[in-house]
Amino acid sequence: MTNAIEMKNVSFSYDENLIIKKANVTISQGDFVGIIGPNGGGKTTFLKLIMGLITPNEGIIKIFNHSPKSERKNIGYVPQRINVDKEFPITVLELVLLGAISKIRPFGNIESQIKKRAFDLLEQMGILNLRKVSFNELSGGQLQRAFIARALLSDPDILILDEPTSSIDPKAEKMIFDLLLSFRGNKTILMVSHDLNTIITQVKSIISVQQTVQYRLPEEVCEHFAMGLYHVPLIKANKDHKKEKNT
Amino acid sequence: MMETLHALSSNPFLQIALLGGLLASIASGVMGSFVVIKRIASLSGSIAHSILGGIGFFYWLKYNHGQTWADPIYGAFLAGIISAFIIGWVHLRYKQKEDAAIAAIWSTGMAIGVIFISLIKGYKADFTSFLFGNILLLSTKHLLFLGVLDLVILLTTFFLYRYFVAICFDEEQSTMQDLPVTFLYFTLLGLISLSIVLLLQVIGIILVIALLTIPPTIAALFTGRLIKIMISSILLAIIFNTLGILFAYSLDIPPGATVAIICALSYVIVLIGKRFNCLKKRTFFSIF
Repeated sequence: MTNAIEMKNVSFSYDENLIIKKANVTISQGDFVGIIGPNGGGKTTFLKLIMGLITPNEGIIKIFNHSPKSERKNIGYVPQRINVDKEFPITVLELVLLGAISKIRPFGNIESQIKKRAFDLLEQMGILNLRKVSFNELSGGQLQRAFIARALLSDPDILILDEPTSSIDPKAEKMIFDLLLSFRGNKTILMVSHDLNTIITQVKSIISVQQTVQYRLPEEVCEHFAMGLYHVPLIKANKDHKKEKNT
Repeated sequence: MMETLHALSSNPFLQIALLGGLLASIASGVMGSFVVIKRIASLSGSIAHSILGGIGFFYWLKYNHGQTWADPIYGAFLAGIISAFIIGWVHLRYKQKEDAAIAAIWSTGMAIGVIFISLIKGYKADFTSFLFGNILLLSTKHLLFLGVLDLVILLTTFFLYRYFVAICFDEEQSTMQDLPVTFLYFTLLGLISLSIVLLLQVIGIILVIALLTIPPTIAALFTGRLIKIMISSILLAIIFNTLGILFAYSLDIPPGATVAIICALSYVIVLIGKRFNCLKKRTFFSIF
């Protein structure tokens, strides 16, 4: 099977702080991967490296055997809700259409094919009736579904979701998971979540990001969580790195 | 008041001032909406204040070296574009240090202006009109310049509207979609600089942020659509400018400060109205 994502000895530092240390990851096409790790542990940096938004200081990243920058249009991204300006004046349909903005004319009528796909996705997400509503009027679950529709508009092969089910009701969470599971085998999915129970039961493989990037077995995740290792402060990890560097 | 109404039909200075206010309102309504939704008011304030450097330099060229072509408004235009590029570059490369860079450009630009002004020999009275604005001194040549800048702002915004919305909402998503984010961001900042230059004549460097941000902020309280915010902001700015100029003329007080006070008072009244549910969302701007 083709590798969707390949990372070889990838390190990334910001100023003096090492965020990702020598990551080696191989994710096959169609895999559903859960990403766990403490806050500030480097999960979002890990995702940004894959999306080509930042460049590693060391190592090589390949997306379908190409550089992340040349393949990033093939990645749909659902950001963390806390990073979104909820007051921004945009309707749900306008938000979804941003998912294919490079294919849309900057002015005038929107291409009918793209508009039709946006309508279909909104219907699939159960929010077609809200298309003309300002996005700041949506509930958490509706907002997340609108972002998933945006990520899917250009029909990407890789879907990356950063905590898509945080602070939403169980019904909306189930709907999102059912949808993601329906893509199993067709799309490569990377999902960051703090909900370890969901991660353990739903995804194929688990990666923990806490400066080092490691594959984990479900039982290992439970063990680490129980032992409190999941919450080892990053400051300590950075100190260890600096000490290692000096010696 | 009757005297002011009579002056409306007979005083060419007042007529030019009102026309200048109208042109400035178009630019402030359109670009001010982007400033408010992208939350870059302090960045725009930095551009506005750093413009003093260009004004001071061109004054110095004109009065100390006899360069008659060196109109200070062209200096403002040049300094605005340079500041926008520096700030844009800092934003894209060193996002975490953006605040400090904004403050540095703010004070450095003003410092350059102050030094050049201090070197000018003789009377410097009209320099204060750039600090506090004096639309009643607007000439037809300036009016033409403002008209051209307005046209540039409107045409560029029309052709790049969707892309501007995309980068204002989510720069990372726009980058992933391979939009030319750097070019678009610089263009947006360049247009904001142009609108600030337009507003300088009306309200002055120190008060420009009031006219740029208050009308869109009021409009955003009533609508969740950017295009409606823009149209409403233009209308509000026209009302604020016209009232400000007429009050200033009849009471013989500075027009820039009068416009800024009217903007601020209107915002307070709207906030109080909203607080006590006198003004409901979607009713005030439902005409669009």
